[in-house]
Amino acid sequence: MKRMSVYPFTAIVGQDDMKMSLILNVINPSLGGVLIKGEKGTAKSTAVRALAELLPAMEAVHGCKFHCDPADPNLLCEDCASKYTEDNKLVADTVKMRVVELPVSATEDRVVGTLDIEHAIKHGEKKFEAGILAQANRNILYVDEINLLDDHVVDVLLDAAAMGINTVEREGVSYSHPARFVLVGTMNPEEGDIRPQLLDRFGLSVVVTGEHDPAQRVEVIKRRLAYEQDADTFIAGYQHDQEELAAKITQASSLLPQVDINEELLETVAKLAVELGVDGHRADITVIKTALTLAAFNGRKEVELEDVKNAAKLVLPHRMRRRPFEEGQLDWDKVESILSSGAKGAL
Amino acid sequence: MLTNAIYPFVAVVGQEQLKKALQIALVNQKAGGLLIGGEKGTAKSTLVRAAKEIIGTQKIVDLPLNATEDMLFGSIDIEYAVSKGERRFLPGILSRATGNILYIDEANLLRQELLTAVLDVNASGINQVERDGISFTHSVSYTVIGTMNPEEGVLPGHILDRFGMYVDAQSEKDVVIRTEIIRRSLACGFDIQSFRNSYFNETEKLAAKIALARSIVEEIEVSEAMMQLAAQMCAQAFCAGHRAEIYLLEAAKAIAALAERNYVLPKDVEEAAMFVLPHRMRKPPEQQQENPEQQEEEQPDDNEQQNQDENEDNDEDSKESPLAPPPLDDNEDDGDEEDNSDDDENQDDDKEKEEQSPDNDKNQLAPEEQIADIDKNFKFPKMVLDLGKDRNVRRGSGKRSTTKTDLKQGRYVRAEMPKIKVEDLAFDATIRAAAPFQRLREDNGCALNIKSEDLRQKVREKRIGNTFLFVVDASGSMGARERMRAVKGAIFYMLQEAYQKRDRVGMVAFRRQKAELLLPITRSVDLAQKCLAEMPTGGKTPLADGLSTALVTLGMLNKKDSELEPILILVTDGRANAIEENSGDPVESALKMAEKIRKAKITSVVIDTETDFIKLGVAKAVAKAMGATYYSLRSLSQEQILRIVRNLDV
Repeated sequence: MKRMSVYPFTAIVGQDDMKMSLILNVINPSLGGVLIKGEKGTAKSTAVRALAELLPAMEAVHGCKFHCDPADPNLLCEDCASKYTEDNKLVADTVKMRVVELPVSATEDRVVGTLDIEHAIKHGEKKFEAGILAQANRNILYVDEINLLDDHVVDVLLDAAAMGINTVEREGVSYSHPARFVLVGTMNPEEGDIRPQLLDRFGLSVVVTGEHDPAQRVEVIKRRLAYEQDADTFIAGYQHDQEELAAKITQASSLLPQVDINEELLETVAKLAVELGVDGHRADITVIKTALTLAAFNGRKEVELEDVKNAAKLVLPHRMRRRPFEEGQLDWDKVESILSSGAKGAL
Repeated sequence: MLTNAIYPFVAVVGQEQLKKALQIALVNQKAGGLLIGGEKGTAKSTLVRAAKEIIGTQKIVDLPLNATEDMLFGSIDIEYAVSKGERRFLPGILSRATGNILYIDEANLLRQELLTAVLDVNASGINQVERDGISFTHSVSYTVIGTMNPEEGVLPGHILDRFGMYVDAQSEKDVVIRTEIIRRSLACGFDIQSFRNSYFNETEKLAAKIALARSIVEEIEVSEAMMQLAAQMCAQAFCAGHRAEIYLLEAAKAIAALAERNYVLPKDVEEAAMFVLPHRMRKPPEQQQENPEQQEEEQPDDNEQQNQDENEDNDEDSKESPLAPPPLDDNEDDGDEEDNSDDDENQDDDKEKEEQSPDNDKNQLAPEEQIADIDKNFKFPKMVLDLGKDRNVRRGSGKRSTTKTDLKQGRYVRAEMPKIKVEDLAFDATIRAAAPFQRLREDNGCALNIKSEDLRQKVREKRIGNTFLFVVDASGSMGARERMRAVKGAIFYMLQEAYQKRDRVGMVAFRRQKAELLLPITRSVDLAQKCLAEMPTGGKTPLADGLSTALVTLGMLNKKDSELEPILILVTDGRANAIEENSGDPVESALKMAEKIRKAKITSVVIDTETDFIKLGVAKAVAKAMGATYYSLRSLSQEQILRIVRNLDV
C-alpha cells in the first residue's frame, strides 16, 4: 500500500530528547509511552507521524481484530484463545506496527467500541463492533492535544491503560479484549493542564522548545522547503539514514532481554526515588526500564551510570509535582549528586 | 481470559495492611467490602486483580467506567425477543457479580448515581428492574471492592460510609524494599511464566487459607463482651448510624477465621477497627476547635486501655488514630485549626498596622511596588457552589456541575422517547423497544423491522467546569503586606478547588490608573497561580475600571461560548480613588459599573478585605449594586462554608 508521503523521522533537526523518547518506546513498549509538551510548531506531531515509518514488523494472528500475538498465549483475545485451544496453533501474518490516532473529538463509543447496529438489525443478534482501542492493541496510540480530551474519554482511556484490557459494558454489549498500547500524547501547556491521573500513565515526558541557534533554524527551513518542493527526492535522500535507524531499533529490541543492571545501580535508583519523595513506585521502576532500553539502543549489555542519568531526565520531571501548584521542578543537581554518590559507593 | 498474565498476590512487596484488608473482604462478604485509597503506583489495582487467584471459584467482575445503566442492572434479552417474540430478562453486571467480587477501578470517577445504586442494591439484597417493558426482581449479593486516587476528588461522606472498610495505600520509603520491588517488577516483565511459577506454592497456600476461613467464618462466635467493645469503639469514633458495629464485628470474625480460631478476641476487633473506623470517624461537636496535632499511628492496644479508662483526652487520640482518616472533609489538612488562629493573628496584625498608620492610602500614593507571597496555609472555608443540576442544555468539559448536553458528546446515560426529531439515536434502546414486536410485524428482509414508534434518543450528560474571573484589587491600600498575603491565600485556595474540578479561570488586576487583564480565561489553572504569585501591588484603586475590564472580558467570552455561565469574584477593600478621565466620583462610577454587571446577569461574589477600624463599606455597596453575594475576608476565615449561588435573583 502506498501511503501519503511522510516527512522522514531522521530529517527532523534537533529535538533529540523527543526523538530518543519515541525510539525507546518502540524498542520497549512496556515503558509506558511518552508525553510531549511544547509550543506550536515544534515538530511534535511530525515526529510522531514520522515514527510510523520506523516501526518494526510483528507477527499477528491472521484475521484478528486485535492483532493478537501468536507467540504469547497469555494475552490472546477470546476468539484467538478458543482457536488456540482447539487447534493448538494460530495462523500468523506479518504486519507492521502502526500509529493509531485518537482525535480529540472522538466519542466514547468509538473509543471503546459499541454495538454493531447493522448486524443487530439484519440478524437480530448482538455483536461487538471494535473501536479505536481495539486497533491500538500492540500499536502506538497517538492523541494530539491530549489535554483537551473530554473527561469521560480520558476516564475510559485510563481504565484501559491501567489494565491492558478494554472492558465494554454498554449499549447492550458486554465484551472485553486486550488493549495494550504505547500511549503517545502531545500537548501545548498554555491551552490547559492535563489531569494528574492521566499524566501518571506516561512513562516518559519531554519538553520541546523551538531551536534557538540561528544556524539550526535555517537548517529547519531549508529542509522543510526542500521537502515541500519535491517530497519524493527528499525522502529518498534520507532513505539510508532511515534504514540504518530502523535496523538499530530492531537490533536493540533483540538485545534488550540480555541487558543487565548491577545491584548498586538498582539501589541508587531506589534511594533517588525515596529522596525525591515521588508518589508510588512507578518512577523508580520506569527509570530502570528506561536505562536498560538506553543501554540496548547503544548496543551494550550492561547499564552504565550515564544511562540511568539520561533515563532519570526523561522519567522524573513530570512526577515531581505531588499537589497542584507545588513547584514541580526537578532539582537536577540533587539527582546528579545522589546518583554519583551512590555509584561511588559501589566502586 | 488473560489469567496467566497476572502478577501474583504473594509477590507484592509490603502493603501488609492492604493485603490483610483484602483478605478480610474476600473471606467475609458481610464485612461490607473495601475501598482502597492512596497515591498512584502503590499496587492498589495490581493486588485486587491478583486476588483472582486466591478466591477459588469466585470471580472478579469488573464494573468499567463506561458501563451504561441497562448493562449494570440488566434489561430485555433482545435476541430472545426477536426470535420468540417474548420479553425475557437478560441479567446485567450485578447478576453476574452475585456471589462474586464486584471491582470498581477509579471508583471516584464513576458516576455517583451508579456507585450509590451499586452499593444500595447490595445493602438491600434486591435488584428491581423496571425498564424496557421488563419488570423483574431478583436477589443479589456481592462484595464491592473499589480503588481511588484522591488526587482527582474524593467521594462524599455518605458514599464512603457504605463501604465496610477503608485502607490507605502508601509507597514504601525503605531503599532495600524499593529495590526489591524494582527487581521483582523487572523479573515479572522479563519472563512472567517462570516468575509466576516461583510463587505458585505460596499462592496455593494462601488460596487454601482463604478457602478454609470462608468455610468457618459463619460459625465464629462473638461474645457479649466483644459486642460491647465494638459498640464502645464506634461510639468513641462518633460514627453515625449503626452500620459501623456490624462491619466491625464481621471483619473481626474474618480475622479470627483467618487465624483459624472459632471465637473472636479483643485484638481481632482492634485490628478490624483499623479498617472499619478510619473513614467513619466524625469529630465530636464540642471538640471541633481543638487541634489534633499529635497524630499517633496504629496503636490499637493503647486505644483499648484508654477505652476502658474512658479518658477524655485520649478520645481525641483514638479518634485520630490508627490511620490517617481518608480525606472526608475535602481540603482540610491537619493543623487547619492552627492555621486558622494564625490567620486571625495575621489579620489582627494588619489591623494594628492600619491603626498605626491611618493615612496608609495617602502614604502609598507614591507607587511603590511590592509583591506579596502567597499565604499557602490560609484557612479558607470549604467552597460550595450551590449550582445544582441545571436543566438547560449546555456544552463544555470539566467536573463541577453536571449538565445535559445537546452535542453528541458526553456520557450516554439513558435513553428516552424523542420529543421532536431524533438526532442522537440510541440504537440499543431502539432495538430493545422493537424486539418484542418482531413476530407481529411483516418481514422486510432484515431480522428487525423498526418502526418510528420504536425510536429512542440518547440522553447524554457531562460535567462542565465553571468559569471564574478573579478581579483583584492590587492597589497600594491592599499592599499592606500581610493583607495581600491573606488575599492571595484565599484566591490560591479557590484555584486549588478549580484545579480539581477542571474549572476555567481568568484574572484581572486593577491598580494605579488602570485595570489589566493579567490572564485571559483559560483552563490552565497553573498559569493563574503563577500570575497570582507575581502580582505586584501599589498605586491607586481604579475600581470602576477593574469592573469594566471584567465586564468586557466576560462579554467576549459570552459571545464565543454562550453556554458557559461565568462567575465573577471581586476581591477589594473598596477604597476606590482613581477614575477614568471625565467621569465623576470614583465610588460613584464603580457603583454604575456594578449596576451594569448586574444587568448583564453575571453571577458575582464580592470578598471585602476592608479591615480598617472605620469601615467605609464601599465594597458592600458595590456588592449590593452588582447583586453579588458578599463576604468579608474576616468572616470568611471563621465561617464554615462559602456558598456561591448561581442565578441570584435580584
